[in-house]
Amino acid sequence: MKTEDLKNTKEYKYGFTTEVENIRSPKGLNEDTIKFISNIKKEPKWMLEWRLKAFNRLKVLKEPDWQKPKYPKINYQDLYYYSAPKSASNKPKSLEEIDPKILETYKKLGIPLNEQKRLNGIAVDAVFDSVSVATTFKDELTKKGIIFCSISEAIQKHPELVKKYLGSVIPLSDHYFATLNSAVFTDGSFVYIPPNTKCPMELSTYFRINASETGQFERTLIIADKGSYVSYLEGCTAPMRDENQLHAANVELVALDDAEIKYSTVQNWYPGDEKGVGGIYNFVTKRGACRGKNSKISWTQVETGSAITWKYPSCILQGDNSVGEFYSIAITNNFQKADTGTKMIHLGKNTKSRIISKGISAGNADNMYRGLVDINKKALNSRNYTQCDSLLMGNKCGAHTIPYIKNNNATSTIEHEATTTKINEDQLYYCNQRGLDQEEAVSLIVNGFCKEVLQQLPMEFAVEAQKLVAISLEGSVG
Amino acid sequence: MKQFYDFKIEKIKNLSSKDKNLRKKNLEVFNKNGFPNKKDEDWKFTDLNKILSQNFKNIVNKDFSLKNKKLELIKEFEHNYISLLNGKLISSNFSYEEKNKISLENYNYNNKIIFDKKNSLNFLNDALATGGFSLEISKNYKLNKPLVIYNHFSNSLKETIVNYKNLIILNENSKLNLINYVNESIQENFMVNTIENIKIKKNSSLSNIFINNSKCNGYFYKYIQSNLEKNSNFENYLFSSGLKFNKIDIVVNFNEEHSKSSIFSALNLNNNEHQEIKTRINHNSPHCQSFQKIKDVLSDESKGVYQGKIFVKNNAQKTDAYQLSRALILDGNAEFDAKPELEIYADDVKCSHGSTSGSIDLNSIHYLKTRGIPEKEAYKMLINGFLIETLEKLAEGKLKNFLIKKLERQINGY
Repeated sequence: MKTEDLKNTKEYKYGFTTEVENIRSPKGLNEDTIKFISNIKKEPKWMLEWRLKAFNRLKVLKEPDWQKPKYPKINYQDLYYYSAPKSASNKPKSLEEIDPKILETYKKLGIPLNEQKRLNGIAVDAVFDSVSVATTFKDELTKKGIIFCSISEAIQKHPELVKKYLGSVIPLSDHYFATLNSAVFTDGSFVYIPPNTKCPMELSTYFRINASETGQFERTLIIADKGSYVSYLEGCTAPMRDENQLHAANVELVALDDAEIKYSTVQNWYPGDEKGVGGIYNFVTKRGACRGKNSKISWTQVETGSAITWKYPSCILQGDNSVGEFYSIAITNNFQKADTGTKMIHLGKNTKSRIISKGISAGNADNMYRGLVDINKKALNSRNYTQCDSLLMGNKCGAHTIPYIKNNNATSTIEHEATTTKINEDQLYYCNQRGLDQEEAVSLIVNGFCKEVLQQLPMEFAVEAQKLVAISLEGSVG
Repeated sequence: MKQFYDFKIEKIKNLSSKDKNLRKKNLEVFNKNGFPNKKDEDWKFTDLNKILSQNFKNIVNKDFSLKNKKLELIKEFEHNYISLLNGKLISSNFSYEEKNKISLENYNYNNKIIFDKKNSLNFLNDALATGGFSLEISKNYKLNKPLVIYNHFSNSLKETIVNYKNLIILNENSKLNLINYVNESIQENFMVNTIENIKIKKNSSLSNIFINNSKCNGYFYKYIQSNLEKNSNFENYLFSSGLKFNKIDIVVNFNEEHSKSSIFSALNLNNNEHQEIKTRINHNSPHCQSFQKIKDVLSDESKGVYQGKIFVKNNAQKTDAYQLSRALILDGNAEFDAKPELEIYADDVKCSHGSTSGSIDLNSIHYLKTRGIPEKEAYKMLINGFLIETLEKLAEGKLKNFLIKKLERQINGY
């Protein structure tokens, strides 16, 4: 095969950096840094106090070490905790005012704001490094009473909502990375859907890590009030860097009575090179609370990037009849490592959860599903179905499954099944016979393997994700 | 938490000073870590430290004087036997077998074996173990009759821990059916901590059956380490219902090709009984097969736990490994926890697991009731069918009938 061609396609498509002047906080993790962040964001006093409370808690917490992918010790004093494109300090009022270089970056990423505004009907809250640069489609959303803005703006304009819900799903003292995020989070998205409102479009944000040595600490809070519906997309790409970068985001979802939240992620951050040098550490805490009756939260993720992916998007099913769903594809190649899965905690009666996880491992990668299904004593008539399948390519990679299953009452049912196999040689042979080359055949079979999850993605994402699945595995067979 | 145990090496008689020091070191490690709790991944669902502290005031170790206890032999089938009292070998009978083919001795504590270095109960065993046996089957010898190990415990065991080790070696091309039998109804609380080391050489086959005849208030932990050579077979049947607490921790190492291992378990638990099965199957060689089927029926406030791990090394191609755990939960206060784990580094393998837990199918109950079967009977019938499936693979004969009867007895209540 044309090795040169292969090499070109394999290289990270989105590996470029934009030269924008940065405003940085002083290096290191201390009270001054937190005060600096809070000050630059012009936050009210209660917010600063909240951050400091988290910081005090962080001092006594230990970094967890039970995960499978090990990583070199992170020096938290050697990181910058805030970095923003300079032009943001004088916020532009329209897209035309935005730094052309930033617009150029998005163009390369395939999300030109202008075009997207017209063609896709998606409101984009683009996060460039840590500050929201532009927010579109605001007018239409405002008419419906939907709040979709950066979390910094929400802290200023809707403090009552932020105060009520921030930290209510992921408490301040949850675990090391979540607490770190609570102390130093820089920006992120805030969504509030008022009662009985169906959000007319898919809300979406693109995260992008740009300045080197900047851990990104995003904070997202989505509240779906009674009887409302929202679908939220999150997509990520990051520039090529040699040093490891930490990303510890927190995402909190709250669904009240009869509300539904659909949260989809395509994560394609820099995974490091073929030798396993560099790449992003993606340590994210995502958690949703189905607080009301008949509420529903659905997580869908396609994880193809990052050197280490370590996250468990979870659902706490508090309301009676609430539903939690988790659909995941995790693809690891070269020296990538993933430790991902979900937690379904059933507390209310008649609660249901469904977990579909597909792990694909190639090269020297390690892919792990780790999940918890816990049906409480009071969660009568609850039900869970879990299926996690792993695909191995070659004998240098690993696939692991660690489910924790707890059933505490006599009226609930849990079903769990898992398989680990390789790509069926008969299927490959059949495809070859029909004129598909090895890589096309693998891509076809793998896409079929993932179909159940890909189907859950919104249209706009599904196409991108399908391509991503194929790109991620290029060069792993043969 | 107050200390609820007090172990002393000095209570063990006839130790050399070297041995004494070694044991002291092991005890120090144990004292530092204490009994395992939920922070230990291997005890994720069980806080043994808490369970023991709630049920014991002060656990001690003792040196027992051996008294012959009257044996109540199983009459249903002909068998050889070994009789242990508080872990010590008191009598044996191999009248059905050829002479000089079987060697049985007291366990030799000079043979040091390295076990799981994270397991604090193993350290405790290393510190305090006395008694136990070494059993070796000669090359090319297949035992004519099964071997029953009668485990007896004396009434004077209140608040006492018994520690011992066993060694079982099956030389090439040999065969043994082993039945671990407990027939005690001691009301006092006591603890038993055993390590069993099993070596199965080429073309040999061992079946290891655990069955109890009565309920007793013992707290049992048994760690079984087995090493399998080429073409060998290791079967386990765990029907150990009736004990207050029981954890069987099995490690199977497939060191050579074409070996097989299976673990079948059927447990019917009630009151506040707690049983846990932990397995670790290490597929270190290609072309090996492992199969696990765990079935629990849980009533009252009982708790069943299954922690199983299949590990497949990158050279162990053509591995076929399966684990299934199923539980019927009959009461709101009963609990079933499972952690079926796969860790796989080879691609040409077939590995899968399944786990289900839920209540009994009410449609089936309804069906049986329409056929004139009282509800209580209907439940028993379904439970029986659910559990007895684990015996399918066992060869027909007196032994199987005996096990079916015992299982029925466990279901119907003592």
